[in-house]
Amino acid sequence: MNSLIDKFSGSVLSYREALFHAMDDALSGNPKVIIMGQGVTDHKGLFGTTLNFSSKYGRDRVLDTPLAEEALAGIALGASLNGLYPINTHMRVDFSLCCMNQVVNLIAKYKYMSGGQFECPMLIRMVIGRSWGQGAQHSQSLQSFFAHVPGLTVIMPSHSDSILKDYHYIVHSYRAPVISIEHRLLYDVKFNIEQNSVYSNDDPLSSHLVRNGNDVTIVATSIMVLEALRAAQYLSTNAGLECEVIDLNCVSHPDKEMIMNSVEKTGRLIIADTSWQAYGVCAEVCRIVCEKAPSLLKVPVLTLGMQPATCPTAKTLEDYFYPNLQTLTGAIARIVSGKTNHGIPLPDEHSMADAYKKFRGPF
Amino acid sequence: MKFNDLYEELFYKALSIRLVEEKIIELYPTDKIESPVHLSIGQEAVAVGVCQELRTTDLIFSNNRGHAYYLAKGGDLKEFFAELYGKNTGCCRGKGGSMHLAATDVGFMGASAIVASTIPHAVGAALAAKKLNKNHIITSVFGDGAVDEGVYHEALNFASLHKLPIIFVCENNDLAVHSRTTERQAFKILDHAGNYGIPTHYCAEGYDFTEVYRVFSRLVSEVRTTRLPQYIEIKTCRYMEHVGVNEDYNAGYRSIKQIESWKAKDPLMNQKALIDKFKPSILKEIEEAVMFAEDSSWPELTDLLTDVI
Ligand SMILES: Cc1ncc(C[n+]2csc(CCOP(=O)(O)OP(=O)(O)O)c2C)c(N)n1
Ligand SMILES: [Mg+2]
Repeated sequence: MNSLIDKFSGSVLSYREALFHAMDDALSGNPKVIIMGQGVTDHKGLFGTTLNFSSKYGRDRVLDTPLAEEALAGIALGASLNGLYPINTHMRVDFSLCCMNQVVNLIAKYKYMSGGQFECPMLIRMVIGRSWGQGAQHSQSLQSFFAHVPGLTVIMPSHSDSILKDYHYIVHSYRAPVISIEHRLLYDVKFNIEQNSVYSNDDPLSSHLVRNGNDVTIVATSIMVLEALRAAQYLSTNAGLECEVIDLNCVSHPDKEMIMNSVEKTGRLIIADTSWQAYGVCAEVCRIVCEKAPSLLKVPVLTLGMQPATCPTAKTLEDYFYPNLQTLTGAIARIVSGKTNHGIPLPDEHSMADAYKKFRGPF
Repeated sequence: MKFNDLYEELFYKALSIRLVEEKIIELYPTDKIESPVHLSIGQEAVAVGVCQELRTTDLIFSNNRGHAYYLAKGGDLKEFFAELYGKNTGCCRGKGGSMHLAATDVGFMGASAIVASTIPHAVGAALAAKKLNKNHIITSVFGDGAVDEGVYHEALNFASLHKLPIIFVCENNDLAVHSRTTERQAFKILDHAGNYGIPTHYCAEGYDFTEVYRVFSRLVSEVRTTRLPQYIEIKTCRYMEHVGVNEDYNAGYRSIKQIESWKAKDPLMNQKALIDKFKPSILKEIEEAVMFAEDSSWPELTDLLTDVI
């Protein structure tokens, strides 16, 4: 089950390299796997994640496609119903909106409305863009659109381990359509691959407890997991606060028990998502807690995400648009102390993107 | 600026766009333009030839490779640089950037970075012009990549069915990012467009603004009188990488020979006397625009949530 993590354990893999190996594992492990997407055969190879696969596995298995997102999603469905395992890729989440009809009306429902006669296992990969002026149509984080719909399994890997573990399981063993939402800013982040991490021990397609703490629970997605861990580290060092951090990972089917157990312990909850708060992951995690045991909360929940606007291009506005280490640590300090004037010195960091290797393409 | 003839005027406009794009290349390493840029270098003559006969009241809809059309349609140069700099004084107040330029005052109706997505907007604008008895015409500009998309076909059909005053302009640089048309299309663009019942035209000399102007201005007069759709495919050549400020001729996805033969015909590279004549005054204008952008202020927190609804 864990063969990819086993294979790379002890090494350091960037998110990009993990994706490359996961795609390689998919193609080599199952001759029915095909990859279809714009640019998957070119010299950039979908940000390096499909590089040279068209020569290694043949152009009939690794296909550059016309700009025809809706048809491609439908073609993936037809192919899946008839024995192929399609991996369909989108360089940005935003472009996948062009195939919403196929994804929501058909792919998500095909098994159910046929009374279980059909299965359509497939993987649709899409990438969130952020920083360097990605702007209105290259930055959206639409996990809630997909996770809203029964029939779709939606993951947001935050770690190379997640990719190795989940993709291997999805492609080789999972019989339903999966949407994986990757984050462009994570591509160059390096991770240690460990055999006994929470990622390798937990079930695939679940949530992971990535840090223990008693003061507050932070439920986070994708790059916000790394941000939550940075904030937790800062507050542990500078204020003696201990945050518990949950990597939601499988946003469509989160580990509710893990969330409840943590909230029971800390009594305080922050949700940090990559998207807008309204009607999204923030709202959904609140629903879970409210339906199960709202009385566990000692104080009101705090949520962090994008401001309720379209993503602006100007850097000054973009820095206000997203939460950063300062806003995140500020939120934690507030919720734990119960005061706005908590007296905890906050880190002087206003642009989270600057903390990562400054992203300026290739896009 | 006084010109001896139309040729000089078109040359001046095309050279201005080239020099603006070259200024962007020069500025880019300073990180003052913090956004992706899809440069028009090599394609300026198409924009200039298309826009020359259009009036301010005529509308044009473009895409994320839109610098040339914004400028050719008469968009303000200062507001252009300010927009790229993400300043408050930009044409979109820093919220749109290079990929989403807009200038309603000159009929530049906006640009979208979702391939093919503004084609139906142009058709809708033509529908409005028809229903409201206006006499302006609409131009929809898109690349060969947009022709792949379903919405392009749906929009062409509607325009023909409803007999709308629109000109479709396919700028064919043979590339969508790194994919050639032959790798994406099993049909001929013009044959196919013609099947929607729209008269089609071809211009092979996309480097030659006078030829583009000659062919396109005839279509403009045609649509002004008949109020019926027309379609033109104009061959062109993108000199730079798809996005960014570098050349990528060594990447191997296209022929260097072909680019070189195109450059050999490009007036903006070969007509030294005219370049020398106009360059100083154009550069002065560009410097002023860049200074304007530099001196302008940033948008502030209070701007973040304006214009949402
Ligand atoms: C719906 C959609 N799919 C994919 C993309 C990514 N993309 C951006 S530009 C581009 C190529 C467009 O080619 P073309 O229309 O010929 O314009 P050109 O870049 O050649 O000017 C692609 C695929 C996108 N922006 N929107
Ligand atoms: Mg093109």
